Amino acid sequence: MSLRQRLVPYGLLGPGLLWLVLFFVVPMYFMGELALRSGTLTTGYSFDWAWSNFPDSLSGHTEQIGRSFFYAGTATVLCLLISYPLAYAIAFRAGRYRTLLLFAVIAPFFTTYLIRTIAWKTILSDSSPVVSVLQTLSLVPPGGRVLATSGAVIAGLTYNFLPFMILPLYANLERLDLRLIEAAKDLYSSSRQAFLRVTLPLTMPGIVAGILLTFIPAFGDYINAQLLGGTQQAMVGNVIQSLYLNQRDYPEAAALSFLMMALILVIVLAYIRVAGTGAFMESEEETS
Amino acid sequence: MAVAGRAWGWLRRNALPIYAVLAVAYMLIPIVIIAVFSLGATPKGKLTFGLNGGFTTEYWTSAFSLPELNDALFTSLRLAAFSTLISTAIGTAMAIALVRHSFHGRRLANLLIVIPMATPEVVIGASLLSMFIYYSFALGFSTLLIAHVMFSISFVVIVVRSRLIGFDRNLEEAAADLGATPVTTFRTVTLPLLTPGIVAAALLAFALSIDDFVISNFNSGTTVTFPLYVYGVSLRGIPVQVNALATMLFIVAALAAALVLWQQRRAERMTAVRPEPVTTT
Amino acid sequence: MVGGRVKTLVLAVATLAVAMGLAACGDGTVGGGREGEITTAKAGNVTGKLTISTWPGYIDPGKEGTVKEFEKETGVKVDYIEDVNENEGFFGKLQPQLEQGQSGGRSIFVVTDWMAKQMYDLGYLQEINHDDLPTVFENLLPSLQSPAFDPERKFSVPWQSGMGGIWVDTAKAPRIKSVNDLFDPKYKGKVTMLAELRETVPLVMLAEGIDPVEASNEDWLNAIERIKAASDSGQIRRFTGNDYNEDLNAGNIVAAIGWSGDASIIENENAEWRMPTEGCSLWSDNMVIPVGAPNTAAALGWMDFAYQPEVAVDITEYVEYISPVEGVKELLEGRGSELAESQLTFPTEQFTRNCTDQDSPPDLEPVNEAWQEVITG
Repeated sequence: MSLRQRLVPYGLLGPGLLWLVLFFVVPMYFMGELALRSGTLTTGYSFDWAWSNFPDSLSGHTEQIGRSFFYAGTATVLCLLISYPLAYAIAFRAGRYRTLLLFAVIAPFFTTYLIRTIAWKTILSDSSPVVSVLQTLSLVPPGGRVLATSGAVIAGLTYNFLPFMILPLYANLERLDLRLIEAAKDLYSSSRQAFLRVTLPLTMPGIVAGILLTFIPAFGDYINAQLLGGTQQAMVGNVIQSLYLNQRDYPEAAALSFLMMALILVIVLAYIRVAGTGAFMESEEETS
Repeated sequence: MAVAGRAWGWLRRNALPIYAVLAVAYMLIPIVIIAVFSLGATPKGKLTFGLNGGFTTEYWTSAFSLPELNDALFTSLRLAAFSTLISTAIGTAMAIALVRHSFHGRRLANLLIVIPMATPEVVIGASLLSMFIYYSFALGFSTLLIAHVMFSISFVVIVVRSRLIGFDRNLEEAAADLGATPVTTFRTVTLPLLTPGIVAAALLAFALSIDDFVISNFNSGTTVTFPLYVYGVSLRGIPVQVNALATMLFIVAALAAALVLWQQRRAERMTAVRPEPVTTT
Repeated sequence: MVGGRVKTLVLAVATLAVAMGLAACGDGTVGGGREGEITTAKAGNVTGKLTISTWPGYIDPGKEGTVKEFEKETGVKVDYIEDVNENEGFFGKLQPQLEQGQSGGRSIFVVTDWMAKQMYDLGYLQEINHDDLPTVFENLLPSLQSPAFDPERKFSVPWQSGMGGIWVDTAKAPRIKSVNDLFDPKYKGKVTMLAELRETVPLVMLAEGIDPVEASNEDWLNAIERIKAASDSGQIRRFTGNDYNEDLNAGNIVAAIGWSGDASIIENENAEWRMPTEGCSLWSDNMVIPVGAPNTAAALGWMDFAYQPEVAVDITEYVEYISPVEGVKELLEGRGSELAESQLTFPTEQFTRNCTDQDSPPDLEPVNEAWQEVITG
C-alpha cells in the first residue's frame, strides 16, 4: 500500500477521534480527578487520593443501582419484543407504505422528550379512562394507580427508547437477502427454522446495536423516574443528579458515575465476547 | 364455517402488518394527545389536559406570541441543524474507516466510540461543564454545539456501521471491473447504497440534539433551548402554545423526513438495489 | 496479536498523558468559596443589556408587561430568563462559574433567602450600596427591612414573598387542616410534599410543636425520620418541586405542601391554600447581584424600577404573591381587586402569628444527607 493509502483511514478517523478525545476523554479525566478529592463546598475539595470514595458511593446506593438494572433491562427486553416484528414488517411486508411507516416511527421523536413524557403522565393519571380500563382488566388493582409506580417508569423508558431499538434493527434487516431464506425453505426447513437458523443470526449485529443503544441510556436516565415515578422509584441517574446538584458532594458523584461507566463497559465487552466478534467489532462480512 | 376458516387464515397471514399498524399507533398516542390538547380552551392559558373548556384554535394562532418560546425553539433548531451536519459527516467517515480499512489502534478507536454511549448523560454534562470552567470558556451556543456533536458521533457511527457490515461488495467489484476508478465507484455505487443508513443516522442525530435536556442543562449558560424552556415552564404550568408548537414541529419534521425518505426510495429503485427473487427453471 | 495489544496500550497511555497535560494548563482548586474581596456593585448609566435569571411565572408577561415597560423607559434590552426552578438545582448549575468569578452572563439572580445567604458566604455576590437604590429603601416594607439572614440588606433586595402551607382539594378532603393530617392513613398515596429541605421539614417540625429556628440537629433528623417512614410506606406519593400543581389538577392527590401564590396556575377549582393550624413557613425570594455581573448599573436600575408602586402593583396582580413594596395594597383597592382583601397577598400579623422563617439546620451536612436519602428513594 502506498503511504497515501495508508494514511486514508487516519484521515477519516482523525476529526472524530480528536473531537472525542478533547470533549470526552479530557473531561472524564477531570471527573476522575474530582473523585479522588474529599471535602465540602465551603471548605473546598482537596485532592488527597481518596480512593475510599469509590466503594463508599456504591455501598450507599445499592438499591438504586439494582433498580436501574431492573428497569433498564426490562425496558430493553420489551423494546426488543415490540421492535423486532415491527422492523421486520417495515422491511419486508410494508411494500409502498414502508417510507410512511418508517417516519411514523421516527417522527414522535421530533417532539421534546419532556413533553412526550408529560403526555404519558396525563394518559396514566389516576382519573384517566386508560387507567379505568386497566382496572377493569385487573391489570391494576381496583383503587390502585399506575403513576408513581415501577410499572409507569418502565413503560416510560420503553416508549422513549423504542426508536433506539427500531432504527438499528431496521437498518440491518433492510439489507437482509431474502434469497437466503428461500434457499433454506427450498432445503425443506419450516418457517420457524428458517427464522431461527438464518434470519436471526444474520440480524444479530442489528440486535446487538439496538440492545446497547437502548439499555445504556435507559440505565442512566432519570427523567422518567422523576416524572412518572414516586418516592420508591429513584434510579442511579437520580442519585447522581442529586449528589451533584443538590448535595454538591462532587467527589461521591464523580466516583459513582465513574463506577457506573466501568460497570457498563464490562457488560458491553462481555456481551460482545459472548455474542461473537462478528456482532460488533468485525470489519468485513463473511458472505461473498 | 368456511368463512370463519378463511377469516382466520387471513388473520394469520396478515398478523405481521396488523401488528405493525398497532405498534405504530401506540407510538403515536402521545403525539395525538399533545395535538388534541393544544386545541382545548383553558381559563388560564395553561395546559391542563382536560377538554372541559371546549375547543379553540387560539393557541395555534397565537403560537408565536411568546418571545421566549420562539427564541428557544429557534435556538434548538439551529443547534440541531449544525450538530447533525457536523456529527454525521464525522461519524460516517469514521464508520467507513472502521469497517473498510485495517490499521493500528482499531481497538482503541472502537472503545473510544462505545464509551460515550455508556456514560450517563449527567456525567457527560457535568464533566464537560467542569472542563469549560477550568479554562474559563464562555458557556453558550458554542459549548452546546460541542456537547451535542460529541454525543451524536457515536450513534452515527453505530448506525452507519451496522449498515456497512455485510454490504454487498460485489456491486463495487463489478463497477471496478467495468473500469470505474475508486472515487467514481464510491460516488456512484457505494454512496447511494449507503445513503439510507446515513440518512437514518442523520435523523437520529437530529432527534438526539432537539431532544437533549440533561447535557444541555449543564452547558447552556444563558442560552435556552426548547427542552430547557419546557422544563422551566412545566413546573409552573405549560402555556398551551408549547403544545401547539410541538405539534407543528412534529408535522414539519414528519414532512421533511418523509420527503427525504421518499427520495431515497426513488434513488434505490433507480439503481435497482434489491435483488429480484430468483426463479428456478 | 501481542504487538497489537501493546500498541493499543501505548495509545491509551498517550491519550491519558495528553489529557493530563491539558489539565495542567488550568487552575487546581475546586470549591472552598471564592477568594478575593467582596466588591460593591457599581452604579452608573442605565443602558445596554441586562440578563436576569429568575423563577418562572414571577412577573406579568407580554407587551404590556413590566419587562417591556422597563425597556421602553430606559432603553435597556432585557433578557429575562426563567431558569430558576429550584434553588439547589440553579446553584449547582452555576457554582463552578461563580467560583471563578463569572456569573454566566447574568446580572441578577432571584433566589430564596437562605440561598442568597449561602451564595454570599461563599463570596459569590456583590454588595449593594443603599444610596444607589433610593426607591427601594423608601418603599420597602418595614417587616422586610432587617431579616435575620441579611440584617443590613447588604446583598439582597426582596422580589416577592410567600408562604408555605397546604393546598387542599376541598371536594375530596375538606377536613385537612394541619400538616399532621397529611400523615393520616386515610389519604395514603394521595399526598405530596415539597422536595426542598427548608420547606417541608420545618413545617413538619412546627406540626410537632418544635420551633424550627431554635431546633437542634436532632429535631431535624427526627422529623426527617418521620417523613421517611411515611414515604417508604407509600403514604407520601411524591416529593415535588413546583409541579404539585399538576397532580392537583389531575386529581392524583388530595393535598400537597405548596406555596400560597400558586392560585394563578392551579386550575382545580376545588383547591384552596390553607394556613396550617400550627403555622406556615414564610420566605422571600430576593434579587441579588452576582460576581462578574456584566451590567450592574442596569441591574440597580431594574431593582429601583420594580419598587415603584405603580410597577409593583402590576406584578402582584398577575403573580398573586406578597409584594415587598409599600403602597401596593392601596392601589389594588383603588382598582377594586379582590387581592387587596386576600390574606394570601396581604397577610395580617394575626394571620401569620405562628409562622416561622426558613432557616438552615445547625449542622447542614448530615441533615442534608439524610434528607437526600429520603427524596431519592
